[in-house]
Amino acid sequence: MKIKGYVKVLSALAISSLLLAACSDDTEKSSTNEKKGRTVEQVDASKFPTKTTNQGEPIKGGHLTYGLVSDTPFEGILNKVFYQGDPDNQVITFFDEDLLDTDENYVFTNDGAASYEISDDKKTVTLTIKDNVNWQDGKPVTGADLEYAYLVMGSKDYKGVRYDEQMALIEGMEEYHAGKADSISGIKADGKKITFTFKKANPSVTTGLWTYPLHKEYLKDVPIADLESSDKIRKNPIGFGPFKVKKIVQGEAVEFEAFEGYHRGAPKLDSVTLKVVNPSVAVKSLENGDIDVASISADQYDQAKALDNVELLGKVDLAYTYIGFKFGHYDAKKSENIMDNPKFEDKRLRQAMAYAINNKEVGEKMYKGLRFPANSVITPNFKYNNKDVKPYEYNAKKAKELLDEAGFVDTNNDGLREDKDGKEFKINFASMSGGDIAEPLARYYIQQWRDVGLDVELLDGRLHEFNSFYDLLKKDNEDVDIYQAAWGVASDPDPSGLWSRSAAFNYTRWVNDKNDELLAKGISEDAFDDQYRIDTYNEWQELIHEEVPIIPTLFRYTTTGVNKRVSGYDYLAERQYKWFNVGVTEEAK
Amino acid sequence: MWKFILRRFLVMIPQLFLLSLIVFMMAKAMPGDALSGQEINPRANPAELDRIREELGLNDPWYQQYARWATNAVQGDFGISYTHKTPVTDVIEDRLWNTVFLAFVTLIFTYMLAIPLGILSGRYNDTWIDKSVTGYSYLGFGTPIFIFALIMLFIFGFALDWFPSGGSVDSKVEEGTLAYFVSKINHVILPALSTALIATTSTIQYLRNEIIDNKIKDYVRTARSKGVPESNVYSRHILRNSFLPIAAFLGYEITGLIGGSVIIETIFSYPGLGQLFLSSVSLRDFSVVTAIVMMTGFATLLGTLLSDIILSAVDPRIRIE
Repeated sequence: MKIKGYVKVLSALAISSLLLAACSDDTEKSSTNEKKGRTVEQVDASKFPTKTTNQGEPIKGGHLTYGLVSDTPFEGILNKVFYQGDPDNQVITFFDEDLLDTDENYVFTNDGAASYEISDDKKTVTLTIKDNVNWQDGKPVTGADLEYAYLVMGSKDYKGVRYDEQMALIEGMEEYHAGKADSISGIKADGKKITFTFKKANPSVTTGLWTYPLHKEYLKDVPIADLESSDKIRKNPIGFGPFKVKKIVQGEAVEFEAFEGYHRGAPKLDSVTLKVVNPSVAVKSLENGDIDVASISADQYDQAKALDNVELLGKVDLAYTYIGFKFGHYDAKKSENIMDNPKFEDKRLRQAMAYAINNKEVGEKMYKGLRFPANSVITPNFKYNNKDVKPYEYNAKKAKELLDEAGFVDTNNDGLREDKDGKEFKINFASMSGGDIAEPLARYYIQQWRDVGLDVELLDGRLHEFNSFYDLLKKDNEDVDIYQAAWGVASDPDPSGLWSRSAAFNYTRWVNDKNDELLAKGISEDAFDDQYRIDTYNEWQELIHEEVPIIPTLFRYTTTGVNKRVSGYDYLAERQYKWFNVGVTEEAK
Repeated sequence: MWKFILRRFLVMIPQLFLLSLIVFMMAKAMPGDALSGQEINPRANPAELDRIREELGLNDPWYQQYARWATNAVQGDFGISYTHKTPVTDVIEDRLWNTVFLAFVTLIFTYMLAIPLGILSGRYNDTWIDKSVTGYSYLGFGTPIFIFALIMLFIFGFALDWFPSGGSVDSKVEEGTLAYFVSKINHVILPALSTALIATTSTIQYLRNEIIDNKIKDYVRTARSKGVPESNVYSRHILRNSFLPIAAFLGYEITGLIGGSVIIETIFSYPGLGQLFLSSVSLRDFSVVTAIVMMTGFATLLGTLLSDIILSAVDPRIRIE
């Protein structure tokens, strides 16, 4: 099951890979979002191949070594209900999976371990698990197993962060969560079938329903509060994926063996070793054949390109970097964003700042082509990305004209513009530390803004560490005028979590009636009609483009290196299809 | 002597108490908590995150949190790590043995290299031997470990392929067998050697200077004039006295190594305490941070004590009362 919602993209911290879901700039590792789908054609998909080209016949008894590129050990919480860091998730994908598969737009299909049906009133979803889907101990995967996952996540003893508002839409879920009921009235499990009844129809159910079951029979003896630390989760996990966990060396390696009873057929590999590899030696280890698969960071991209024995695959990541303007504060009592800071109320100023920066150059020069200008805040791997909206292209002349028009002119001839009342106009820019590019990038933007006459300075004259940075934003620190940050987005296109009037993560505090209306339309019952939803989100993206509450700056590629002896590896189909289909056509050297 | 040791242990109690207070307050002063840097689902009701914070007691005033933590800590319970979802003692224990093993091997290598070199260099001071040993030790002193470790890794791990390039043990071998033990040793040699080769400076220089100082002392002259063979003069008389400062430093050396080396552990993907500490700080996993600081703090106090005891044992001139 995908982790829904968004994730702060950590553009910082050498040890970022530990942070759950955070994508770090220096490792180019993608976030938690397990559902990476096929890239939509329009997006320069040609830049990287996404599949291995080796067409050879996989050998029998093949063994593959997977490099988990991370500068910290994995924590070893081997269950999607409980894990925190992305490294753990990479381990989980070998031995466990969700019940429903998804297509290239992250919409559920009926090809996976289960099929689903939505009732005519759109309020009831029924999952039917296929007969041959069994846990690795031979017991069948049942509806009750999936129900148990909901019972655990809704329980007051559960300390993870997976209980979300969509789950709360299930009938009886809130009552169960509050401890008023012993079961969830909207979930009915019967053998291989399970039915969810929702309080209201929401199209996000076709992308956002949680379908990752827990092995109830195996786990039910462990109290819910102790599950996350139990050996049944950490040392002897049982899943229904293509490989079984054979042995775990805590924090550094895992040995897997093929699960013959896998519901899609026996995997082509006999065994897999997963081991943690430090980013600084990942390319070297690929070169000498110590590992067969490893993600490649931007710093190592050139080195990796030069390897003869490795194919480089790439895809667009589910994340965007942006520059946000501060418009107000968050009223936690009312759960509402209040726009009470007039500094950036003139949208011509915001547009001018967008025109003034050259993101094409940033992507090509600083990120070696692994990033490219963002046109929207819906990432281009979705069909919902509005291709007619173009990124703000660098145009200093236009920026200057807009500023003149808006009344920001230099009245005292110091080379910097004053505001409409002729007062000094200073802008404090907050940006995160981390990676080699963070500082030059911030300075580059500042320089470009100064070139059009805007007095922008780095807040406190330095970059801020990840936690401090988000602390400034969360508390709406008045010293922050604009900031650079990133979000990892999930498979559900609904942007409400970051953009609605009530969203605490709407760090700009921008509110707009049209925005509210379009967001509501995007998750209304009508939006089950896909074209309606696409039109709605297209309109929404035009609004964002015009109003520029944030400047979307960069989308990113994520790349991985695969040894040429590996066949059947598809970087895009990510999780579900990845490992059972992968083989090796010759022994490792 | 026993009185002295007992008194030192008693003094440790207020020292550790103060340390815990400082660490606790500083940890709480850092922006963010274990939940803030994590994946956050914006659809989750903020109330839900608050519920978890409430459950974990993160919303209470610091002195209440401290009191609760201290009460448990005294009983050996350092709480649950939010990141690792398991008791802090388990998290640390997993890493501790790796770190101790690495530290121990490193210490052995360091002394194996430094002692003979220090002796040679002291005995034959101002010859080419001394000059090259001193040159080497200054080179080691000036070499940044993160560069040196990477170079070692590329030469011996990749180019020559003599040693594994990362991890603490081969995941394929069965635990408890001889092969397991051999694999552990095999994995620890390169990181230990990388540290040892450039950590020898102080030991070499101390030993060298002590030997040179002792060489011209009266008791040595007496021994020589009585016709004691030169080799005996060194092994019986000079060395014994020259080892005093080295022995005294042993206690400190041990505590220094227990803290773990972030750089070595990171480069060799070797799961140890140094790395755990750093990542826990950035993830705001306070329970782990405070536990590690308390542990290293305690180890430091213990190491100092150990050094004093060793010193008094080897040097009859020093008496602890």
